[in-house]
Amino acid sequence: MMASLVVFYRLMVRPLRREPARNLLTIVAVGLGVAVVVAIHLAGEAATGSFRSSLETLAGDADLEISAIGGLDEGLLADLVSLPYPFQFAPRIEDSAVVHASGQTVPLVGVDLIGDTSLEQLFGQESPDIDVLTGEDSVWVGTRLAKQAGETLALRLNGTLHRFTVRGVFGGQGIKGLSRETLVLMDIGAAQRLLRRGRRLDRIDVRLPRQGPQRDWRAVLRATLPAGVMLKPSGSRTRENRKMLSAFQTNLRVLSYISLVVGAFLIYYTISVSVVRRQTEIGIVRALGATRRGALAAFLAEGALFGLLGAAAGLALGRLMAGWAVDMMAATVNALYVSSNPGEITVTLGTVIVALSAGVGVSVIAAVGPAREAARIPPTEAMARGRREYKARLRVSRNLLYAAALAVAAFGVSLAGPIDGKPVMGYFAALLLIGSSALAAPAAVTGAVKLLTRPVQRIFGVAGLLASRGLKGSLSRTSVLVATLSIAVAMVTSIAVMVGSFRETVALWLENRLQADFYLRPAGRPSIDKHPTMDPLIADAIEALDDVAAVDRFRSYEITYNGLPATLGAGESGVISRLGSLRFLDGPPREETLAMLARGDNVVVSEPFANKHALSVGDSLELPLAGRMVSFRVVGVYYDYSNERGFVITDRATLLKYLPDPAPTNLAVYLTAASDPDTARRAIEAATANRPLFMATNQSLRREALKVFDRTFAITYALEAVAVLVAILGMAGALSALVIDRRRELSILRFLGASAQQIRRLILCESGLLGLLANVLGVFVGTLLSLILVFVINKQSFGWTIQFHWPAATVIAALGLVYITAILAGIYPASVAAKLNPIEVIHEE
Amino acid sequence: MALLRLENVSKHYQADGSAVRALEDVSLDVAQGEFVAVVGRSGCGKTTLLNLAGAMDFPTSGRVLLDANDTAGLDDAGLTELRRRKVGFIFQFFQLLPTLTAVENIELPLLLAGQTSCRDRAREILRWVELEEYAARLPHQLSGGQMQRVAIARALVHSPKLVLADEPIGNLDNASGDMVIDLLARTAAKLGATVLMATHSLEAAERADTVVRLRDGRIAEIRQS
Repeated sequence: MMASLVVFYRLMVRPLRREPARNLLTIVAVGLGVAVVVAIHLAGEAATGSFRSSLETLAGDADLEISAIGGLDEGLLADLVSLPYPFQFAPRIEDSAVVHASGQTVPLVGVDLIGDTSLEQLFGQESPDIDVLTGEDSVWVGTRLAKQAGETLALRLNGTLHRFTVRGVFGGQGIKGLSRETLVLMDIGAAQRLLRRGRRLDRIDVRLPRQGPQRDWRAVLRATLPAGVMLKPSGSRTRENRKMLSAFQTNLRVLSYISLVVGAFLIYYTISVSVVRRQTEIGIVRALGATRRGALAAFLAEGALFGLLGAAAGLALGRLMAGWAVDMMAATVNALYVSSNPGEITVTLGTVIVALSAGVGVSVIAAVGPAREAARIPPTEAMARGRREYKARLRVSRNLLYAAALAVAAFGVSLAGPIDGKPVMGYFAALLLIGSSALAAPAAVTGAVKLLTRPVQRIFGVAGLLASRGLKGSLSRTSVLVATLSIAVAMVTSIAVMVGSFRETVALWLENRLQADFYLRPAGRPSIDKHPTMDPLIADAIEALDDVAAVDRFRSYEITYNGLPATLGAGESGVISRLGSLRFLDGPPREETLAMLARGDNVVVSEPFANKHALSVGDSLELPLAGRMVSFRVVGVYYDYSNERGFVITDRATLLKYLPDPAPTNLAVYLTAASDPDTARRAIEAATANRPLFMATNQSLRREALKVFDRTFAITYALEAVAVLVAILGMAGALSALVIDRRRELSILRFLGASAQQIRRLILCESGLLGLLANVLGVFVGTLLSLILVFVINKQSFGWTIQFHWPAATVIAALGLVYITAILAGIYPASVAAKLNPIEVIHEE
Repeated sequence: MALLRLENVSKHYQADGSAVRALEDVSLDVAQGEFVAVVGRSGCGKTTLLNLAGAMDFPTSGRVLLDANDTAGLDDAGLTELRRRKVGFIFQFFQLLPTLTAVENIELPLLLAGQTSCRDRAREILRWVELEEYAARLPHQLSGGQMQRVAIARALVHSPKLVLADEPIGNLDNASGDMVIDLLARTAAKLGATVLMATHSLEAAERADTVVRLRDGRIAEIRQS
């Protein structure tokens, strides 16, 4: 073993020191690939870690939670408490409030400050008077609100401003896990009154009896609870959120692996170069007694060494990048899924394992091909490079055939449905397509050389001729380079096409969907899973204005359907039918659908909801409402791109029948044809004076929505930028290797009269040609990949129909940038080539 | 007037920390059209002499005059220009570019010098080395002797005044070697080019007009055949 290590060090490791710059480039490229994977892994963990809501933290060691859409009647608590078992029940109200001074939205929780003994530690030694505890102006806050006991805190609750006195701050000794929260806590009775909840509770936490004879406590409780009331394990919300986010996380993870795939090609390239350059050495060592297995192991170990160093660098860099990734992921999560604050980024043993398996695993796999090539070299044989490359050229047609087979397989696989809600076959199809493009790369290089030699020679002279011939001459290397860069280009193209298509679709949808003139909601930062309400009188006041044709009162509730969060909404179908715009995928005509919506227990559902739960027109869905399970018939599936959670929409009258709270969460105001928008706006502002509301025009909402959209995809762009960077770094390293490998040829050219300038131009010409080829191949493959992304992966992950759109300007600009950087990547190798000492090189050879 | 004149030329360099005196006070005149063989043991300075003569390197002291151009007075671009116009190189291991066909290899010096229409000239010189039918072959499709003849054609294509051949038959069998020496002799005799050939083979050296024997970097003997 020791002897093997010595031989490995002398023959494999020590020679690496001869080319520190090139090896460093390879390590950095692999390190970047690993860093992206680590960053997304860490950021994903941090983001999902933050879903545990303040309410769940407050629940402490509760076992179960009881809830219902629209809340629970507090009479239920009395029924539960009267059960002859030692259960512990903790009623909760959960809402959000807006800090008047900062505009920050914070969770507001109403708890039983008198009866809930688990909260005693909030108050320390001395419990306040009962009047203070239950006072409507008393709140306790988390340290992050930066308030002291005795200070005043102004909060907007459902559109009304209230002033509170801070009675205490949860410090280090407070309830575990709450010290860092922005939570505002108050007595449940006060919360009910201030939030206009009447006698309703949002939730009851249940702690099961720990002592005495055990029974099926769930069944005991279930028997007491009316139909339509949900009994779930504590922390279900967190699990539901995580489940909902899994597709989003999976897609980001897959996206992060692309840099690694690009890195794998570079490892393949580096080890290939290593094998070719040591061909004679391998032959000699084999003749001296090394086995085939030994040669194989040596080159696999070389790959592992690169992977190990890359993993170490990637782990450190990934931790750094995770900070940015968390911010970007949080923006997407908040915009499309659930409101959350990013959690802590923690590097664990799992992270190290991810980094190592990404770096070492991928590197070793990438090294298998060249290592096997090394093992096949018979003792003392030193095959001429020209002959080897000639053989590579003979394999071009066969590889092209394999490429075609893989492309056909990719098409076939892409037709398969999702597995466990995930587009596994879509990813596989994308992988097959990447494999196909890699196999087609030699044919692309050969074809391009045939096509381009003359024009390139005409433009760049002999440097052009030699560059294009050099590409074909070193086919086994250049085709790997073209494949590597083209994968990065394909990724840029496919993501640009996918995002561009999505953006175009959303823009068109916004144009069509937002038909009302003004939209109103309670002031404060909008949040996807919080639905603050406003006084119903506001809508009546606006509707009474002369300029106003109609007001659509929309009410939203947070629901869980089939274990996934969603939104139950109710609008005025009459108003939507007359003035609004809602486009349906299938089913009866729009007017008919909206007419059906207005009658009976009918709903329309958004496309993501329908896809996620496999629902279509005519199907039924059951929702627990008003103490029973209510069955609704789906009469339409409508296009919606506002979020991925999905909507179930019914008529306002239908919902009020079950949940008789008239307070709307949003208003859509339609003006009369004759009204002047400015005058109408002033009239609405006057009618809602002193009400903290946010009013927006349809244009500003569209602008804002597109801004959110762009922010959402920032991380996608960042990931693809890293993949391109990896490819460019790798290309600089690979071109250097190509220069070193061909130093004899370059030196001969110097003997034959080539100037240093001509040598430099030759290498730049080669990098330019490689960049061009990679761009052409990458755009082609990228467009095919974008079809998989748009119609398979996106559809199966998120359920949106996206209209295909090729964003020419974006793609061309991105490719231009890639092309320029590809040429820039040639500068270093070109200068290495120009500085070669021909006499020394020829003497060495 | 000599085409190539070396005046008290010395070439020293550092190798692994110690000074190596590759050439020491060498003076030599080679006339236009003369075929000169440089012989001596390995490491005696034959290749260094050829590199200095071919404007690939500068002497440490002394002067190298190639067609009356003092190489020491030229920069890298000047040396390149001088090589392009006046020097042709032939190597022991042929050094053909594997990615170019025979005729393309031959065209290369002309293309590097900026000429564009050079195919006819390349074919003409290929005919001269009796390999016209191999024009489209890649180097690995040729035998050793054929490769060396292509290399000779490449060295002659731009009608250089000086042809430098470093062990041109060192990697060939006897028959191929004889053919190559014939070709070099004809080059000097028929084309009027000066040929300076480094060789181990005394038999080949005997075919030259002049034999220069080097020993430890110094000229030990100059003998006319």
